[in-house]
Amino acid sequence: MSEGYAHENELVSAESNLYDRAMDVGIALSITTFVVGMITFADGVSLAATGMELVTFFGILLGVVAGGVGIVAVFSYTNVVPITSQRVRGVALGLLVSLVGLAVAAAALPVSLATMLGLVMIVEAGLLVAAGAGSRFGFVETDPSMSAGLLAGIVFGLLGAAIGAVIVASFPGVPGVIAGVPLWALGGLLFGVGFVVLTVSPREDIGSTVPPALIIGILGATIATAVIGVGWQWTPENLSGGFTGGSVIPVFVLFGSLLSSWSAAKCRADFGARGRQYGAFFVINLNAFLMVAIMAAIVVFVAVKGIGWAFHDFSIGALSLLVVLAPLLVLTVQRARAPAGTDEWHSAARQFFRVLPLAAVGSFAAMLLGIIVTGTPFEIPYQYAILVDRSTVMLDTAFRVTPSLAVGNLLVIVSGTLLFTYFLRRYGSLRDVGIEYERLSPVRQAVPAVIGLLVLLSLVFVGIGPAPGGIPIGPTVGLGLATLGAIVVAALVLAPLGALLTGEGSLAERAHENAQLLNVGLFSGVALLFAVIVLEWTAVSNPQLGPLAPVPTVALLAALVSICLAAFAARARRSTDDTLRHRVLGEEVTLALTAAAGFVTLIGLHVAATSETAFAVGPVEVAIHGSLSWPTVLQGAIPLGQAPGGIYPAIVGTIWIVIGASLFAVPLGLGAAVFLTEYAEQGRFTEVVETATNALWSTPSIVFGLFGAAFLIPRLGNSLSLLAAQLTLAFMLLPLVVITSREAIKSVPDEYRDASAALGVDRWTTIRSVVIPAAMPGVVTGVILGVGRIAGETAPLILVLGSEINATNAIDVLGGFAFTTSPPFITNEALLNSSAALPTQVWGIITAGVSGSTSKGWATAFMLLVVVLSFYAVGIIARTYFRRKINYE
Amino acid sequence: MLSSVTAEVQDAILGEDPSEGALRTVGLSVLSLVASLLCIFLAPGFALPVLAAFVVVTAFGWRTHQAEIARLLTLVATILTVLTVTLITVYLFFSAFPAFTAHGIDLLTIPILESGPQWFFWLDFVLPTGETIWNPRAGVYSLIPLIWATVIVTTIAGLIAAPLGVLGALFIAEVASDRLREAIKPGVEILAGIPSIVYGFIGFKVLNGFIQKSFLDDGASFLIAGLVVGIMALPTVVSVSEDALSSVPDAMRDGSAAMGATSWQSMKSISVPAASSGISAAIILGLGRAIGETMAVAAILGAVVQPTVPLFDMFDASSTLTSAIAHNYGSATESTLDVLFVAGVMLFVIVAGMSVISQYVERRINRKLQGQQ
Repeated sequence: MSEGYAHENELVSAESNLYDRAMDVGIALSITTFVVGMITFADGVSLAATGMELVTFFGILLGVVAGGVGIVAVFSYTNVVPITSQRVRGVALGLLVSLVGLAVAAAALPVSLATMLGLVMIVEAGLLVAAGAGSRFGFVETDPSMSAGLLAGIVFGLLGAAIGAVIVASFPGVPGVIAGVPLWALGGLLFGVGFVVLTVSPREDIGSTVPPALIIGILGATIATAVIGVGWQWTPENLSGGFTGGSVIPVFVLFGSLLSSWSAAKCRADFGARGRQYGAFFVINLNAFLMVAIMAAIVVFVAVKGIGWAFHDFSIGALSLLVVLAPLLVLTVQRARAPAGTDEWHSAARQFFRVLPLAAVGSFAAMLLGIIVTGTPFEIPYQYAILVDRSTVMLDTAFRVTPSLAVGNLLVIVSGTLLFTYFLRRYGSLRDVGIEYERLSPVRQAVPAVIGLLVLLSLVFVGIGPAPGGIPIGPTVGLGLATLGAIVVAALVLAPLGALLTGEGSLAERAHENAQLLNVGLFSGVALLFAVIVLEWTAVSNPQLGPLAPVPTVALLAALVSICLAAFAARARRSTDDTLRHRVLGEEVTLALTAAAGFVTLIGLHVAATSETAFAVGPVEVAIHGSLSWPTVLQGAIPLGQAPGGIYPAIVGTIWIVIGASLFAVPLGLGAAVFLTEYAEQGRFTEVVETATNALWSTPSIVFGLFGAAFLIPRLGNSLSLLAAQLTLAFMLLPLVVITSREAIKSVPDEYRDASAALGVDRWTTIRSVVIPAAMPGVVTGVILGVGRIAGETAPLILVLGSEINATNAIDVLGGFAFTTSPPFITNEALLNSSAALPTQVWGIITAGVSGSTSKGWATAFMLLVVVLSFYAVGIIARTYFRRKINYE
Repeated sequence: MLSSVTAEVQDAILGEDPSEGALRTVGLSVLSLVASLLCIFLAPGFALPVLAAFVVVTAFGWRTHQAEIARLLTLVATILTVLTVTLITVYLFFSAFPAFTAHGIDLLTIPILESGPQWFFWLDFVLPTGETIWNPRAGVYSLIPLIWATVIVTTIAGLIAAPLGVLGALFIAEVASDRLREAIKPGVEILAGIPSIVYGFIGFKVLNGFIQKSFLDDGASFLIAGLVVGIMALPTVVSVSEDALSSVPDAMRDGSAAMGATSWQSMKSISVPAASSGISAAIILGLGRAIGETMAVAAILGAVVQPTVPLFDMFDASSTLTSAIAHNYGSATESTLDVLFVAGVMLFVIVAGMSVISQYVERRINRKLQGQQ
């Protein structure tokens, strides 16, 4: 609907009276019964519950609802989430009222939950009849149509027929057949016709309240009089299953409350066109809510079941956690710094929510610091069940944060890289700012050349090995060059600090003038040190000067210097009023922070590149084996062990499958999409290809599995193999990449292409620099979502990869490459072997029957869900980000 | 004749007016690519080195004649994509062929129960009947129980997914505010992203126990499988019908609003009828997903292949077309494999057909709504 169309529920939201209030309570009562019905269906509470148990149950529900309504009320009061609709307010109050009523009734009446639900349904029916009659006899002013309509008539007729048939058939002592016609059919017909007449012939206020009230009343009476009680059972002769009170009563309750909420909503909006709209919208809204609830329930259920094993024996050092937290901290600071909007009276509340994440992350960080300072580990002990020798054993374990100061190099690299890219993206440019020193230009030219030489040298070492013929060329050259490089980097980084601290003028002036020094020094420093570390890696050299390793020491020094630079620049920025200088200094702060993040990352890279186990400064160390211990994710299965072991091989397998499939499918699909959209003539051919790719995308995945197993496996060494799995999933991914990329490229407006052509740009250059960049967001998002789907795909994998459940070792793809002298000259054993993968492992546990460990299955399913949903989260966030960018720029 | 073909090929590869150098570069690149493709089939060992040669040639070509090489590469990608699609289709039919010739119509044997052949829509006048319907050792295979199981599961799933899905689409497209839509649409996408094996594990571990208690069943049942598959097909129905509803031009709704209709009235009488073919396409696609769903069904229903007695007993259980493949492929003999390929071909034809139909319907409605008809 286009804007400007008035929403009438806001127009009528001004006044309300007793009738409206009563109907709101009626709606709320129906919702409550619906929820209680769901809970009994899922066995959350017994239908036979009475007395105290029942009061407690309703008390808990009341607590939850009161909390929810209370929070929303506070938000609404502070105008953060303004709720203006009288109907929403009425229903919220009605929820409270009906739950209080139910709790009181449970305390007062000595009945079971089932009986009580039946009674509530009878009450609802009475309320509907009263509302209908009140409207018909003019006690309340409403706006009903002449009839409830034929559609409602047909629906109620069918329902009535079903009820009539069942009632007649189950009546004892009645002959089954009269004059060759089964009696239940006659009863059904009679009831059906009666309901149609009752619905269609009277005015709408009677026609849409009395028939549903009758149905609800009959269902309620059946339950309340225990005709269908808790212990009731019915097994039809030739079905393999049957029905019990435990399943029929909730179904009756769910159905009855749905019907009564619809009818009550109609009454609430005074019948007529508006009433029908409110009734229909109510059902639509309820359905949407139900869908979201199902999704949340699935995710939460798997998480609750799997999290026990997934975090078995998890422990991490406080410092490592701080390193992980650092990017988050920066993000929340940024959010809190952003302008808080207008100076309306409620901006204080918005400000509060802007700062809230920072407060949360900050207090967490403070807690971690406390752990480090006091040296007391933080522990959350818990138990979970595993299966040992086919019997359940409870395992004690704990989630620990230790005061350890060791940090794994991988964490440093990941966190550092994230921060580096974040700051680099925020950094604009410092070109032509400040004084251009004459001595700076040779440095500008020399640094890239030196880096090039270092990379070339590294390549040479890759080719000949670090010690050709037993002569340790690599280590020797590495020692010299790395030390030299480190010294140069130190000089490059220290130069701007020196210039900032000495010289004439105020701090801000000096910082402004020396911008180029900062620019060249920091960027060259990071790049040069990176090249040096690459050389260290390829030349297998780890230079040591006495107790000091020059490279990480310089990196640490440079990081500290960069932070100092950032601090000075920030201080200078505060003191200046000049707008331009203010901006320049802001850039300098970002640049210095970028460099600091870069240098810290380089420390992690150095540890990874050399065989050194750790780089320690006092008690703090960056090590290959940090203080993170997460057996489930980092270990393989332990055969015959008491300890449960982990699912590392399956995680690695899934990662390699996803990488392989994407490497194959993404370039191919993207290329095809470009050709089909930009080069090929739009017509028969493109249409056929489009139809075929769409059809292939909806083809059942197991069919791809059949193809992979029958076509690929015999051609790839005749055994279950990772390569076959990658290719099979690539074939599945290919159509999706083609479809989404085509759509993204098509949605690039033709004006772009025309404008480019008008500038005399040829076709390919237009595609490369106009079309593809504009289409990239769509392509990236589509591909990420597709890859997420592939990551969870199981059916083809069990045919081409098998379903290993107790893998002890992860597949080593990178180490599997080998050069041979005979064709095909390069081989990879690992790719031709089978591997574990998350989805196939779950399947393996299902097929293993009693010997499959259920808790392991839940943990694997949980990890799989985490992997897949992270892809989806990234894809959806990317799409929202790009869309905002396109809309606001 | 020959020269015109050459000219056309050259046109396809290079576009119009290539320069001399471009011709040479691209020609060399194409030659090496064809050579490597030939190698894959004739001398697989040399495929990788020749492919490397292609990469080197193309890389040099990229430096000198980027536009032409780029065009060539995208063309190659298109050809490979089309080839892959064709290869999969053809190979499937090719692999199913032996079973077709060996068993023929016997693949559709209707089971004989105590009281004669099972009633199966009077088809026993056309199809053969037999005592055994699935016995790999004796080489007896009938796909009828598998097909029927698929039909039951798909029906239950459709009964759940179609109404709920269309209501959900109405909510997203018409009822929800912009903010709520931003929240719910990703929610539906995530629902689509939950891997089927996770549903299967939940069904296997939790729901099968639930049905034993509440419906006095022995565990596996079509009811649960249909329920789970219905939830899985829900997102497809929601998102495709939501697209259809959103593509109804605003002008139509504004017209209805200008006549004084409430939004429910214009939704009921304008949007839904206008989008009805799109919504049916969505339901067809959703049913296609339900038919092709494998892992959840395989986990819930188990590996047994048996006739459903009585025919509409939703508490019974039997493998479906998909789950039979998943359960049996690993341990199957040669002849069973061929039969499984027949099942695969059936799935492929049915689902691909449904997809083609729904695409046709969608295209028609788009043309209609854009007023080109």
